[in-house]
Amino acid sequence: MIHLPKHETKAMVAVHGWSGILLGLLLYAVVVTGTAAVFAEEIGAWSAGHVATRSAFERPMADTLRELGTETPAKYREAVDVFETGDHDLGLFFHRHEMAGGELISRGLFYVVNGDGRVIHRQAGTNDDVYGARNDNALRSFLVDTHVRLHLPNPWGLLLTGILGLSMLVAAISGLLIHRHLFKDIFTLRRSGSAILANRDAHSVAGTWSLPFAFVLAFTGSFFSFFGTVGVPLVAMAAFGGNVHALTEAIYGNPGSPDPRPAVIGNMDRINADAIARAGAIPTFVTIENFGRADARVTTYHPPKAAALAPVSLLYDGATAVFLQEKPLIGPRPSTGGTLAAIMSPLHFGNFAGLLSKAIWFGLGFAMCYVTYTGMRLWLVRREDGVRSFAWLERTNMVVCLGLPFALAASAAAFLLAMPAGNAPWWTPAGFLIGAALAIGAGVIAPDCVRLGLWLRRADGALLVALPLLRLVAGGPGWAAALAAGQPIIVMLDIAFLLAGGRMLWQLGRPSKATHQPTILQPAE
Amino acid sequence: MTVTSRRWVRFAFAGPGAILIALAVMAGMALWLPGGAAGIDNLVLPLILAPLIWAGLFFHACLDRRLGRVAIVALGLLLVHAALIAHKFLDKGAASTEAHR
Repeated sequence: MIHLPKHETKAMVAVHGWSGILLGLLLYAVVVTGTAAVFAEEIGAWSAGHVATRSAFERPMADTLRELGTETPAKYREAVDVFETGDHDLGLFFHRHEMAGGELISRGLFYVVNGDGRVIHRQAGTNDDVYGARNDNALRSFLVDTHVRLHLPNPWGLLLTGILGLSMLVAAISGLLIHRHLFKDIFTLRRSGSAILANRDAHSVAGTWSLPFAFVLAFTGSFFSFFGTVGVPLVAMAAFGGNVHALTEAIYGNPGSPDPRPAVIGNMDRINADAIARAGAIPTFVTIENFGRADARVTTYHPPKAAALAPVSLLYDGATAVFLQEKPLIGPRPSTGGTLAAIMSPLHFGNFAGLLSKAIWFGLGFAMCYVTYTGMRLWLVRREDGVRSFAWLERTNMVVCLGLPFALAASAAAFLLAMPAGNAPWWTPAGFLIGAALAIGAGVIAPDCVRLGLWLRRADGALLVALPLLRLVAGGPGWAAALAAGQPIIVMLDIAFLLAGGRMLWQLGRPSKATHQPTILQPAE
Repeated sequence: MTVTSRRWVRFAFAGPGAILIALAVMAGMALWLPGGAAGIDNLVLPLILAPLIWAGLFFHACLDRRLGRVAIVALGLLLVHAALIAHKFLDKGAASTEAHR
């Protein structure tokens, strides 16, 4: 327990309250979408009805890679990104690196190869075009984009989410400092007291349990937001006279003498099979540097091994397909900085132990949403009898906290209905905007906050229950087909939506136990 | 100094001051941190530690009762790291693309 003097405790209470109230609503939006994005991959498979289970890296690709390499202009053979896209199709992005507006980008040709080895898509563009929203991943892409940059243009969106991360860091640390009875508070839930005290206890218990998680998320989140926007240019300025490409090469490159002699790329199928056997998992991503040259290098990236936190990456000689070494994710050999940087991603995304760690991250993320919502409610309750009225803020708080899940569910509904027609990239954000407009409209016309909360909860519950039905109506695979194809995640998400929506509707049917005894909260409460 | 002006000075150190100094420290650290086994620690650690440096400066500005000490720590860090960066830029001979190792 930390015992700050009264004056400092008062300052920390003010910092805790204002850090939440000034940016709390935006922070809530980032945390809600981040919580959902923990299951982005699963939501992608659920929404698009993906039923293929054999990875593109388990299928032969060596001949296709060589053929596409031959027909791609030499200027785009500087590097190749190889990854899975759509329903386990193979994505190959031949590209070169360029500086555009002070930012390092990739430009080249992108091919999608289906399970039969046929090229089904060709596209010229930059990394933004290749990794942006497509018809079958529009919902997943929308969720991730909302979380990462709130759909603001670069770099402003990343800077904003980075600042939100810092405000969460402040709220977490100040929350720890103002706890006078930390261990007692973890287990204190007074059900028999007033509604205010019960809310305060719930905020305190959820906040205290998720405190380490909030700290980790805020720290890693602000790291990711500031990494490319501020950090890399500044460190490149100091260490390399502003040469961002030189910094990137120093951190991610594979050192060695250049050998530009032409050489056919080695057998990629042998590399894939060897990498899967060594790492014990399918690659999540593969990069080929200096494609078609004697000094070509292939790096395969894999999820962490059992009981490990850092992802695995393996280095191969591209021309001979011979295994060279297990290399750290960052830097040519293991180092403190490289290891710390490598664990930032699994710590933030919770993807280091499969569905179990993702479920824990989802639960703790949900607790963070609850802490943000109840924290703002407590701040408002304390000022109910003040000179200034904050009724507008209470209404706004409710519209955002209950309306945002509704708008997200509306975007999912729009995606499910629009995907068969090929309009999902347009309709997914449009569905979100329609849902948001309905929630805001309800906030404007509702006679009071109690009624507004009732309307929004009812809408949230009804739409969540409707999602699995919409998926089936839109032509998505049924439960039997999904299970037969080895995709139980589709069934699991259907059940999760039905349970979540059903519980909300069931709760609304129960009489409220809340009592309205006057309660005076202490400063640290 | 009046209570109000002390509060504003503290606010300046905790708000814009903490951001500016954290950025200067992040850039300057790349010049004095050792490169480590892979020669990249001086480049990567400042990027990782930046949010924590900012949080440290912010809470120090909020919690230290002695405003003078807040100013000395913050301005000292700024001065040292700004001087390192300035030295790097003025040193034409060393202005190659080679990183500090």
